[in-house]
Amino acid sequence: MKNIIVYGADWCPDCHRSRKFLDEKNIQYIYLDIDSDKSIKSEMLSLTDNKNIIPTIVLPNGQILQEPSNQVLAKALNDFKSVSSDNEVIDLVIVGAGPASLTTAIYTTRENIKTIIFEKAVIGGLAAVTDLIDNYPGFEDGISGLDLADKLEKQAKRFGTQIEFNTVKKIELLPNNDKKIHTENGDYVARAVLIATGTDYKKINVPGEKEYLSRGVHYCATCDGAFYKDKEIAVIGGGNSAIQETIFLTKFATKIHLLVRSSIKASEVLQKKLQSFIDSGQVIVHLQTNIVSILGDNQLVNRILIKQGDIKQELAIDGVFIFVGLKPNSEFLNNSSIELDQLKFIKTNNNLLTSMNGVFAAGDIRSGSTMQIASAVGEGATAALHIRQYLESLKSY
Amino acid sequence: MVKNITVFTTNQCAYCHMVKKYLDNKNLKYDEVNLDNEPNRRQEAISLSGGMTVPVTLVTQHDDSRHVVVGFNLSSLVPLLS
Repeated sequence: MKNIIVYGADWCPDCHRSRKFLDEKNIQYIYLDIDSDKSIKSEMLSLTDNKNIIPTIVLPNGQILQEPSNQVLAKALNDFKSVSSDNEVIDLVIVGAGPASLTTAIYTTRENIKTIIFEKAVIGGLAAVTDLIDNYPGFEDGISGLDLADKLEKQAKRFGTQIEFNTVKKIELLPNNDKKIHTENGDYVARAVLIATGTDYKKINVPGEKEYLSRGVHYCATCDGAFYKDKEIAVIGGGNSAIQETIFLTKFATKIHLLVRSSIKASEVLQKKLQSFIDSGQVIVHLQTNIVSILGDNQLVNRILIKQGDIKQELAIDGVFIFVGLKPNSEFLNNSSIELDQLKFIKTNNNLLTSMNGVFAAGDIRSGSTMQIASAVGEGATAALHIRQYLESLKSY
Repeated sequence: MVKNITVFTTNQCAYCHMVKKYLDNKNLKYDEVNLDNEPNRRQEAISLSGGMTVPVTLVTQHDDSRHVVVGFNLSSLVPLLS
């Protein structure tokens, strides 16, 4: 995308207003202060038929706006985006920026398929907040989630992938088979769409969970674990994530109560690693145990109520980390014609095509996915090949 | 107008990484307080955010008003940086 240029001056309130508007929409632009250099002012006057009005905003399609209201600016940007910078529809919009998405983008941009990724939170997705990824091929000592995400992002950008912080609200199939993507920053039109929004940790819906969020209740060990140095905490869950994060949290907490509803389901490798912390007494495992409520002093968590069989007891702890399974990030598809399964994961055929023509899904969000980073990367590559085939099949492409 | 920005982070926090990356992309200077390296400043972050979490971004404006953004929250952060 070419740059938006804003000619303005520091003393001009409307320039500040327009720039604030663009900043809030996270729209990149070049700001040129007409007072800083006479040639800048001359350049602006040559574009505006000598009308000395600021802000003067030049859009990438050549449209010039002078002292526009925010509404006028928004409309011009939307009109411009809907047809992209060169009056072209975007080849591929990808929703989400996790491993599946970034892999697809590496493939598609490398083949000159114009690709834009919209991400509302973290590049790398859930993988990026994982302490250590030990089973991703090619890294004999494992790799931190953050490092893997960083490498994937850099590789995708090397081939020209654009990543925008933006939230997708709806995907609509247009009569000509193009897809209209409604986002917080306006509408876009694409020939193909890949949904790779992944999953997020589930809530356990017990009293105190919402009330003490970030004040003793956490879902991200790599973010918040450092606050529990020399403290006693509980971890809820018995799957791979829960055990991996428990092992990570042993760097900080003196004692960790691992509360498992049934039995530990994590891989043997992780269980073996965990065993040394159990043997040293740093981790205490409570099997067949449910958490009833999270309690505190209205400021911070100081204990939890747990239930094992018929026996209830309180455990004095400083914080709770919850890793009890994953929920699909598919809320934005609730009223769409894209078919979901009972658990709200996206149904696809063998070509990773959803029920909407030209809309594909890959990675953890896909019904039947194996929820592995290596699988997500594989699906990303598979999706790219099918998307390429789909784009080639379009008469207008 | 922004006078200064301080970001409380930890080494492996992906959301901290995103805040830093966002500020870097905007060419905005900031001070980083890495709580893994400076654990004695944890209480400072807790006092600012009211919680035990990072990233915590403190934006001080030229009129010395202070604004705190918890997490990688662009809808709260961006208006403060204009």
